[in-house]
Amino acid sequence: MIALARKTLLHEWRRFLPAVLAVAFSGVLLLMQAALVFGIFGATAVYITASDARVWVGYPGTQSIELGRPIGPQAHTALLMDPGVARVEPFAWVGADWRGPPGTGGLSVFVSGIATRPDGMIFSSVLSASQRALLQEPFAVIVDRADLSKLGVPVGGQALINGDLVRIVGTASGIRALGGVNVVASLDTARQLSIDGGDGADVAYYVATLKPGADPARVAARINARARGYAAWTAPAFARRAVSYWMFQTGAGLGVIFLAVVVFIVGAIITSQTLMGAIAGSVREYATLHALGVGLGSLRRVVLEQAAWIGVSGLIAGGLLSLGLMALAKFEEVPVAMNLPAWIACAWVVMAIALVSGIAAVRVLRRADPALLLR
Amino acid sequence: MSTLIANDLRMGYTSGKLRAEVLRGLSLTVDAGQLTLIAGPSGCGKSTLLSILSGLQRPDKGSVMALSEDLWRSNRRSLDHFRLRHTGFVFQGFNLFPALTALEQVMLPLGYMGVGDRAARERARVALDEVGLTPRAHLLPAELSGGEKQRVAIARALVKHPQLLFADEPTSALDAANGQIVIDTLRRIAHEHGTTVLCVSHDPRLVTHADRVLEMEDGVIWNDRRAEPKSENAS
Ligand SMILES: Nc1ncnc2c1ncn2[C@@H]1O[C@H](COP(=O)(O)OP(=O)(O)OP(=O)(O)O)[C@@H](O)[C@H]1O
Ligand SMILES: [Mg+2]
Repeated sequence: MIALARKTLLHEWRRFLPAVLAVAFSGVLLLMQAALVFGIFGATAVYITASDARVWVGYPGTQSIELGRPIGPQAHTALLMDPGVARVEPFAWVGADWRGPPGTGGLSVFVSGIATRPDGMIFSSVLSASQRALLQEPFAVIVDRADLSKLGVPVGGQALINGDLVRIVGTASGIRALGGVNVVASLDTARQLSIDGGDGADVAYYVATLKPGADPARVAARINARARGYAAWTAPAFARRAVSYWMFQTGAGLGVIFLAVVVFIVGAIITSQTLMGAIAGSVREYATLHALGVGLGSLRRVVLEQAAWIGVSGLIAGGLLSLGLMALAKFEEVPVAMNLPAWIACAWVVMAIALVSGIAAVRVLRRADPALLLR
Repeated sequence: MSTLIANDLRMGYTSGKLRAEVLRGLSLTVDAGQLTLIAGPSGCGKSTLLSILSGLQRPDKGSVMALSEDLWRSNRRSLDHFRLRHTGFVFQGFNLFPALTALEQVMLPLGYMGVGDRAARERARVALDEVGLTPRAHLLPAELSGGEKQRVAIARALVKHPQLLFADEPTSALDAANGQIVIDTLRRIAHEHGTTVLCVSHDPRLVTHADRVLEMEDGVIWNDRRAEPKSENAS
């Protein structure tokens, strides 16, 4: 069988290039918006995903970590008494006001009070043991490197949080927050910075690691069965809550879907128009084949195969371009993140753009009437 | 011997309020193993007749028996199938795919007939050889002359081993020498393979090369001339 679709595509690549580019750019747009959304909204779950705690306990109904409210010490006791729990750690959360050097103005920040022992759970994957040790110094704080310019203070510099003088003792990467700046401090420092300053009153969460073999979901279920005034989630469930809260409560999720639809339509229009032009340009050849007895079904398959090849080429081109852009974005510390299901979803949408365009273009074949060759 | 029998064909076109009758009760029979030429002035309906005889366009009235099959009583799918198995076409334009070499152009229809790649290649080589294009088999249409392109188109029609071969003005885009080659090739195919070759043309040069000339005017055949047997290499 002569690979008519592929040979024509390669020979007349200039004619098909706009379609390949349209598909590729649709793919890039879809991927980059997904990456940005995951990057930005993933930041809302950074406390959870950058921690090795398996179970989180907080105020009932908490949608996202910054919406947490103080919970009482009985949550601590409940965790300690659970047979699956290995270790428990409090996590303080203080919304605060940052004042840098004169002229830099105020800024609202989130102060995370974390355990400073070397095996502390919160931010276990972004803070080293030595960085944690630095936090043991009273009023020492660590911020994200990308936030330094916003804060207006270099490493080693000082600023006021809620009126108390703090010192930036280091920076880390991957602790940026959405809608504010994350400032990491020890539990004691956080407690001091809290405006009401009550003992333990600002502990918003207790987090726990589990004994080997313990199932986080069952631990959370056990805690929830007897909880009053607090609730437990597994870490992934709590992270999903945070991301979906931000995506859908803020309308960003609908925005994503809306933009995806727009990209789909625009991509499909350009691709199908290009394909139609290409078919119209070869309509006499198709008509000749039809005269020779090749059925319209077989001719349609040629067009659909071309569409599929366009989809595959666009997918590869768009994928490579996206990888490059992702690398660039990471280098520039633009918050981007991607996961396999999202890549796969984008790939499906891109192939769907190509195939829908092919189906739309097939009707041009009706012009391949052999009678037009006989005049 | 008659492989193509048309009976009382009527066909007209309506454009706006005007109705033009192109075929007015035309009947004819065409025999195998001959080059039959339908000649007539421009616009007299030769191409229309050819498209009806070959199963490409449905007449308003009348019937066509092709290889004992009543063409216009079958549905579109079986018409496609009939053409795939039994008919070859050569058109005025060459209509070759720009992306395919001469050999691939000729192989292409065989793939749709279910012929395997190796057999198709072999048959395509033979067909190209028959039109004298073996040395050009690897070239794309852009690299071929007009006459060579028309010979590729003939090979493409030929490779199916059709019993019926239709040609509409196959020489009109060619110069005298190339037209000569094409018409001689068509006649040789008729004689050597016993193919029914029906050619339509208003080119008077062809008249002397046909085995039989049907003259058409006003929607009917008004004259039927059979040529004296003569030598193949007459020019
Ligand atoms: N699709 C059509 N719609 C309307 N009129 C048509 C159509 N096809 C052909 N005709 C008319 O029918 C008549 C016969 O056309 P046809 O193409 O069969 O002529 P022809 O004998 O092949 O002419 P030529 O030698 O110039 O090719 C012409 O007058 C033409 O205008
Ligand atoms: Mg004509």
